[in-house]
Amino acid sequence: MSKPKIASDWMCGCAGCHMSLLDMDERILKIVELADLRATPITDLKEPDESGVDVGVLEGGINNSANEEVAKKMRARSKILVALGDCAVFGGVPALRNFCGVQAALRRAYVEAESNEEGSQIPDDPELATMTETRAVHEVVDVDYNVPGCPPDPDTIFYVLSELAQGRKPKLKDELLHWD
Amino acid sequence: MVQITINQQRIDVPEGMTVMQAADSAGIRIPRLCAHKALTPFGGCRLCVVEVEGMRVPMASCTLPVSEGMVVETETESLKKSRQFVLTMLFSERNHFCPFCQVSGGDCELQNAAYHEEMTHWPIQPGWNEFPVDTSHPYFVLDNNRCILCRRCVSACAEMAGNFTLSVADRGAKSMIVADTDIPLGESSCIKCGSCAQVCPTGALIDRFSAYQSHDRNLEETSSVCVGCSVGCAVKVMTRDNRLVRIEGDWDGAVNGGVLCELGRYIPLTESRPRLTTPLARKNGSLEPVSWDEALTLAQSRLQSGSLAALASTRLSVEALTAFKELFETKLAAQLTTTLEEGRATSATAKYAERVGNFEGRLDLLQTADVVLCVGADINRHHQVAGFLFKRNLNNGANLIVIDSAETTLAERARFVLAPKADATQTLILALQAVIAKEGLERKSLALADVESRVEKAVAECGVSAEALTQSARLLASAITPVILYGEADEATVEALHQLAVQIAATDEERNGILALKGGANSQAASLLGLERPFRLAGGETLYLALSDDALPQALADEIRKAEFVVAQASYESEVAEIADLVLPVGIWAEESGHFVNLDGRVQKAQKALDAPNEIPDNLNLLNQIAERMNITLNADWREAVRQRNVGAELRIL
Repeated sequence: MSKPKIASDWMCGCAGCHMSLLDMDERILKIVELADLRATPITDLKEPDESGVDVGVLEGGINNSANEEVAKKMRARSKILVALGDCAVFGGVPALRNFCGVQAALRRAYVEAESNEEGSQIPDDPELATMTETRAVHEVVDVDYNVPGCPPDPDTIFYVLSELAQGRKPKLKDELLHWD
Repeated sequence: MVQITINQQRIDVPEGMTVMQAADSAGIRIPRLCAHKALTPFGGCRLCVVEVEGMRVPMASCTLPVSEGMVVETETESLKKSRQFVLTMLFSERNHFCPFCQVSGGDCELQNAAYHEEMTHWPIQPGWNEFPVDTSHPYFVLDNNRCILCRRCVSACAEMAGNFTLSVADRGAKSMIVADTDIPLGESSCIKCGSCAQVCPTGALIDRFSAYQSHDRNLEETSSVCVGCSVGCAVKVMTRDNRLVRIEGDWDGAVNGGVLCELGRYIPLTESRPRLTTPLARKNGSLEPVSWDEALTLAQSRLQSGSLAALASTRLSVEALTAFKELFETKLAAQLTTTLEEGRATSATAKYAERVGNFEGRLDLLQTADVVLCVGADINRHHQVAGFLFKRNLNNGANLIVIDSAETTLAERARFVLAPKADATQTLILALQAVIAKEGLERKSLALADVESRVEKAVAECGVSAEALTQSARLLASAITPVILYGEADEATVEALHQLAVQIAATDEERNGILALKGGANSQAASLLGLERPFRLAGGETLYLALSDDALPQALADEIRKAEFVVAQASYESEVAEIADLVLPVGIWAEESGHFVNLDGRVQKAQKALDAPNEIPDNLNLLNQIAERMNITLNADWREAVRQRNVGAELRIL
């Protein structure tokens, strides 16, 4: 039997969850032993295999049309989809802007912020992705496993990936479960 | 006792307990958000539901009384689902994002509850509504975005502090915790006791001083006694890395049961006076640092010659006050040894007690009093916790009568306010006695003669109407469990009050429903030691001022300046900079252990929670060092020393 394939990507997050993934140190070799690491932000492949992967991992929430595309592609190509970290699971820190709305947030960032030059405008290049409310991954596509944490501990990530790679269902509780 | 079974475990518990209390007593933890051991449960949050054999639906364990043979399950799959649903609804209401909340990571009961149910996400996302944040209060912030409407704060404000400032406005999802008529907390009737912040299960009420300083698990907790006044509240002093982080009321505190006041909870955290860490001696007009050896030698030479007076703070422990008395009064024969309070709150009561024996009762009588007569004691301004003990009952049928010649903040809560002219309080009390006798309402006759003329005379002299006098007298005489609480009074007034207590059966064979506020934390101990004389200097004395961390009363400053040489045993610079000739730095309240006698005679131990800077000594240690220099051995046993006289309240060394 060939090794299960794992792919990951990041969206509206800070890359911290992938840093935490790398923080599992030499245990990452164990993951490589158990699974075939395919497209990830830290490997050369840029998209999950068209033929599909066993486990897809998404970091970050979904706050624009491009993220939506990434999430839908990962969902379509993964047997099991894991939402990794508070932004993917809840919306996280970027979701704070939902309390004021997209337009107010853009105006503050591109027009009103003290660091902007006089006459700055909100970018409106048609090639840019369209901003949306920040959503948790499960609001856009079905998620099989939510792994909260800001970021989740390396122990938690190792546990989840190694369980999935070995065909078992991870169950987060006690030390492995935290929301901050 | 009834026997019930919880999770297959049989336990015997007293009748009248709730299922939650029974589970707690057996170490079985039922999740909860609105229930709190110090507050009346009302079954609001539905997180504590349990399955009871024979019951159709899950029941809230916080309000369900135990009954014989009850079989309870607390952790079934169906309960887990039910709790997850309750939590899902709570998380969906407001802003409960954890990463940027100060209680996240162990100190949030909402987060802990979600972990307990193994929730990995919110099935329903929040509604992104913004709620008000109130930052107008000096000691805590009310962030309604973090609020789950458990109403613990509302209950604490009413049931613990008896202040009724907090309430809930509006309904349903728009419900909001508000102060008074929805005004900023900082401008409200809040008396800043902080009970609400201590019971808040989430980050909705955030303590300004301790916020973001530490998770509770990293704090060291020291059980101690508040030294703010003579009530003697039990506190938990929370420290980290030898730094004071927070002060909490001790839920198991005998006197206060968890509640504290502003003076106990927050004032110690606002301390900003610069500390003294090395001895200072006045040289060419200004205070210069000197070595301990030089300082003690100077102290020795000064204390050995000339006339001597000694003045101590009532924030000193009994141990230190006993050593102070032994050193200066017994060994060095000082002409005057007294305290900064000069016995103002204690000496009249003590003198009266020397004649009649101990006559005062205990603080806990206030909790069950149906009528409280407060005489010259504005317990909204000082001794607040004593006030909390009965103010919480004022909306449940208890009544307050206030007698005060000064304007009092208690007026709006009082049924009757009698404001006699200055120095006419005793006349007024005698008039009350006369009215009670005249109306035939005495429980025990005082055999008063000429009651009519007494009343007439009193009305004329004290400026209180006959009508108000009569109504107050009737209410007082009709009370079943009255308590008389008084502040500073002269001996004749104390006697009149005691007679009144006897007349209305506040005091009888079973109870002594009369007690006096005593001022500072150890004013009662000072009284027991006889350190309560007025402070008057002839001029030219050497004065030893054991100030510790106390503030110097302005009224004494001029008198102190009459001394030729002042040795100050003090913790803070600002208090002594001008008057002292020799300054010996000493630890503050949190840096030493020692006993305190509260206003009803209870002896409690304060525990050291912090190390003093620069290895400066504590108060007792410093007095011993001075004695040693003078080849004096201090060996008086404080337990013996405080038993020499009756001062009103029975001494209870537990």
